[in-house]
Amino acid sequence: MKLLLKLLILTVPISFLLMFFVLLTEDKSYPGADYDTYNFPKFELETLAGEKIFNSRIEGNDLLLNVWASWCITCRVEHPYLMKLKRQGIPILGLNYKDEREDAIEWLNKYGNPYEDNIYDYKGSLALDLGVTGAPETFLIINGQVVVHYQGEVNEMVWNEVFVPAIEGEGLF
Amino acid sequence: MIVEISHFLTILATGLFLLSGLFATFINNTEYISNLIARTYSHAFFFLIASFGLYVWLAATDNFSVLYIASHSNTNLPIFYKISSIWSAHEGSMFLWIVFLAIWGFIFNFKISQSNPLKSLTLGILSLVIVGFLLFLLLTSNPFQTILPIPPINGADINPVLQDPALVIHPPTLYLGYVGFSIPFACAIAFLIKGNSDIEWELMVQKWSIMAWIFLTIGITLGSWWAYYELGWGGYWFWDPVENVALMPWLAATAFIHSLSVSIKSKKLRVWTILLSILVFSLSLFGAFIVRSGIIDSVHSFANDPERGLYLLGFISLIIITSLILFVLRFSKIQSIERIKRFSKESFVSINNIFFGVLIFSVMLGVTYPLIYEYLFNQKISVGAPFYTAIFSPIVLLACIFLIFSVDSKWSRRLKSNLLDLPVVVSTTSSAIITLLFLYFFDINDLYMNLLIFVGFLIILRYMFEIYKLIKFRKYINPFSAIAHMALGLLLISISLNSSLSTERAMSLKIDETVKYKDLSINFQNINLSNGSNYDAIKADLLIQTTDGKSVKLSPEKRRYFTRGQITTETAIHASPIRDIYITIGDQLDDGSWVVNIQLNYLIRWIWFSAILMSFAGILLVITHKKSTFTFKKSIS
Amino acid sequence: MNPTRKKRIFNILIVLLFSISGISMILYSLNTNLDYFFTPSELNEKELSSSKRIKIGGMVLSGSVKRDGSEISFVITDYENSINVIYDGIVPDLFKEDSGVVALGYLRNDIFEAEEVLAKHDENYMPPNIEINNDS
Repeated sequence: MKLLLKLLILTVPISFLLMFFVLLTEDKSYPGADYDTYNFPKFELETLAGEKIFNSRIEGNDLLLNVWASWCITCRVEHPYLMKLKRQGIPILGLNYKDEREDAIEWLNKYGNPYEDNIYDYKGSLALDLGVTGAPETFLIINGQVVVHYQGEVNEMVWNEVFVPAIEGEGLF
Repeated sequence: MIVEISHFLTILATGLFLLSGLFATFINNTEYISNLIARTYSHAFFFLIASFGLYVWLAATDNFSVLYIASHSNTNLPIFYKISSIWSAHEGSMFLWIVFLAIWGFIFNFKISQSNPLKSLTLGILSLVIVGFLLFLLLTSNPFQTILPIPPINGADINPVLQDPALVIHPPTLYLGYVGFSIPFACAIAFLIKGNSDIEWELMVQKWSIMAWIFLTIGITLGSWWAYYELGWGGYWFWDPVENVALMPWLAATAFIHSLSVSIKSKKLRVWTILLSILVFSLSLFGAFIVRSGIIDSVHSFANDPERGLYLLGFISLIIITSLILFVLRFSKIQSIERIKRFSKESFVSINNIFFGVLIFSVMLGVTYPLIYEYLFNQKISVGAPFYTAIFSPIVLLACIFLIFSVDSKWSRRLKSNLLDLPVVVSTTSSAIITLLFLYFFDINDLYMNLLIFVGFLIILRYMFEIYKLIKFRKYINPFSAIAHMALGLLLISISLNSSLSTERAMSLKIDETVKYKDLSINFQNINLSNGSNYDAIKADLLIQTTDGKSVKLSPEKRRYFTRGQITTETAIHASPIRDIYITIGDQLDDGSWVVNIQLNYLIRWIWFSAILMSFAGILLVITHKKSTFTFKKSIS
Repeated sequence: MNPTRKKRIFNILIVLLFSISGISMILYSLNTNLDYFFTPSELNEKELSSSKRIKIGGMVLSGSVKRDGSEISFVITDYENSINVIYDGIVPDLFKEDSGVVALGYLRNDIFEAEEVLAKHDENYMPPNIEINNDS
């Protein structure tokens, strides 16, 4: 009787803990990553430089779209990694989100520009259509379609876990 | 640069805590060693406090070279919120947790005399736990990370929801409760290691345990109150995983302090008491783990980082498994020799322990079942309120019935009372009458709700009888037990009436339109644009009039914060003793009218009042806890 | 068999009986109170009774939101299948077209009658700094 009790006292918690281990190490989808595929929403905006930019920039192309702003601290932390991706030849389009044009340009001048172009989304309307809720967020666009939507800072680990599988699957970049 | 000093001080503290822990566990206990341990702990503590103090200074002075501070604070915040931003997210709140853990230990170190046989060992164990958490902090959740060489000029705009006094006090209060139970835990482990069943560790930790329990109770109450007025849903408890994860330690803690008094009074249930002390602390740690591991996709998940989750799980498992193995090994030594007499006070408490155990188990099941289910069947499910209420209602009722009978019970003696004793009969019939009155006048349909009212009044009346006996015959009653249990009765009544009587309606109103709802007429006076320092708002003015002529103006708002465009609902609440009038506004419809939601929440304030009253009983106990009752039966040689 | 042993076995049996019945009651309660979560497509595939409370999730189809007094109707879609939803009350602030939503309620006559509507990053959830993802 006593032995049974002792056994129970040990085994019940241990099995609970084991269960958590199993659940935690389970290969589940990366938190913050969304793999819904859909067409890029229609938009008609300007770049930071003031030129018009439309869906034609995206259609049929493979690129990264990075949502950022000069007021976004984590974007600064993410920034060096984006520069690294740029050096690897990955085309990155920027979506400057709810920012002041001058602040954004100054930020890029100060820290470096990893973007081929920057969509200036002051009102956040395109961001809204994309389901963006903040910065930084990054989209992987393949053939003009959004295939990966990641919310949060992109770093080496995130890149390898979230983006690389989709990229390699298509044999891109 | 200051952040580097702060960082270094924490590292130093870690080393010293480690030393303190090692001294205690590896070297035989001499007076010199005990003094050494006490002093090492103190020094470690001072370094840690200095580090934290510097960190607070950094936050207060807008030092944005610190990544964490830059991410959670900005120059526009009032200083109160600059400091509280420290515990608004993972790394900082972990830091606070550890500091609180160390503070409890420090006070323990200060107050317990060196001659106490368990002191050094307890401090050592505590130190090792602190080291584990500090390593977690420094290695996986570093709050000292910097943004260099060019720090930002201003920090991030803060989630407006976080800029709220209740939400600022709620985490620290809760943490003080959680980590407070590390003291009885460490003492229990020290007791097990020493193996001498004559040592009265329970008496030693009683005041500490009740103190921690008080913090936990108040912390949970604050959270519930905040959720009520801030979230716009009008509810006070959602059975959300994180709420549940704070409830479980509370249940265990309540069972623990009851078991503790039995162990102190008649040296019985010592096994239960030790087990419960391990359980409370484990559940507190578990709460930390669940919240931070992201394993449950819930509200307060600070971290979505498997690495952190694994480390924490490993650490917590280590603590739990070692304690349990120790417990099993020493089991026979702590078992009380005498059997518990049937229907003695001890037996009632032990039954209570079982009830609480079942409740804890059920909550744990409810929290973890979705995870297991999804893993096994690949189907997402959620466990909602109905499950918890289905489990809690019968068990709480049953436990309360036992409580009624336990009032008369005696220590170590069989209850001799008759079911037909005057107090029991009078209380039962009175409560039944009151319940039937409520049922009749308020049309309460649900059986369980009626039973809750019945039992609630039964408890209150039963204790009032005891108070009467105290006044008339000078019969002794335990005042703390009386107050706390009457508060419990009040809680049950409030919960039941709140659930049965409260109503809600969504309606659409045009400006100048008046609508009748229950005994109120609501006139939509006006809707204005307004703004605050960092938001735009739509403010509606509604005039509420009751049938007896009283009127009140309520102005719910919908705010849109500038930088994020984040929209929040500001509820407008008119509180009166019997009910809250609770209003929120929705969107505007095509025809120009606005959607307005009105709730009448009955007796909701009483729910929190009952909880505070319960804590008050605890506070009374702590204040009046006589030092002289604690004398060592056997002194160390 | 001596009497103490008999008593002991009796005690063990009682404890076992209570434990097993207790646990089964809890598990039964659990299973009858589960809210299953479905996407519109899954809803299409399975036959579900109208008396079971379920959760459905997806995106709010743009252009589908209609208000009538305090009642709101909209369509939840996963871009392959859709379901009509009606709800009486105020929807959360983050509810909008082309955004994620979860509705809790009953499926009756091919219309989902929602008791609760939750939007992603719902107010019921306090997202600490959802705008700034600060995991370092």
